[in-house]
Amino acid sequence: MQTPDEIIHQPVRLKIMAALNTLQSGQWLEFVALRAIVQATDGNLGAHLGTLESAGYVVVKKDFVGRKPRTRICLSRLGREAFSRYVSTLQAILAPGSLGAEDADDG
Amino acid sequence: MLPTAEEAAQALRDIDLISHRAAGFQDYRAESGQLILWGLFYLVGFTLTFCFPAQALALWGVLLVGAVAIGIRLAMNSGAGGGIALRYLGLITTMVAFVVAVHVVFWPVSGEQSAMIAPVFVSALYILRGIQLRPRYTVIGLVLGTLCLGGYLFLLPVFWPWMAMACGGTLILAGLWLRSH
Repeated sequence: MQTPDEIIHQPVRLKIMAALNTLQSGQWLEFVALRAIVQATDGNLGAHLGTLESAGYVVVKKDFVGRKPRTRICLSRLGREAFSRYVSTLQAILAPGSLGAEDADDG
Repeated sequence: MLPTAEEAAQALRDIDLISHRAAGFQDYRAESGQLILWGLFYLVGFTLTFCFPAQALALWGVLLVGAVAIGIRLAMNSGAGGGIALRYLGLITTMVAFVVAVHVVFWPVSGEQSAMIAPVFVSALYILRGIQLRPRYTVIGLVLGTLCLGGYLFLLPVFWPWMAMACGGTLILAGLWLRSH
């Protein structure tokens, strides 16, 4: 069986990906909104976003609204596909056939 | 390493929880803009009714067309998906039809009675929506209904200014409250 994507399989990054996956393609979420949804600190969220950005799973855009800096995040197509695969892998682990195979292995 | 079934189930539960939270966040965000818009609509409408009672119907008509146009634009910008303009128009048409139907059934009605119909209907809708979906909507509906009804029962001498604040003000504050979520 395929192992889950190690980049996504980390609690905070999983939450980030799950939150961004609810948005439509090309829709952005502000950093402060994502922080409220994921319930992480600025530093922690920033670090995990860096990891996801390096993997090409998210796109981070920084701009200004008036004089106020704004950071927005969007799930990339690669990220959406990876998240979909990740969920499928988890579901496969829980599938009855999979449990039967584990039982058989145990037996 | 492959996660255990328990870890996989926990991860899926986390995904569900976050998806629900994110959807709620977006829902409140989208609704906040609409609440502020319709709050301004009522604030201006009731104020103008107080100042120019003879032209009230025409003024409400103009305000309604303007608010619907802005409302559709806001809804489209919220990423609500295709067909939102038609659904929005359908919603507004239903509400206007309800108000007209109540007028027909209970005619003749006073200006104050007429002014109560839409806010009470909106209040009931928010209470029901809150019971079914998200609790903040119930609070908004209860506050809106209570203040408007209280004004009708106890503050008739200052009814129009009261309604501008109770209905318009409540919706605007509710919009800001949802935005702070």
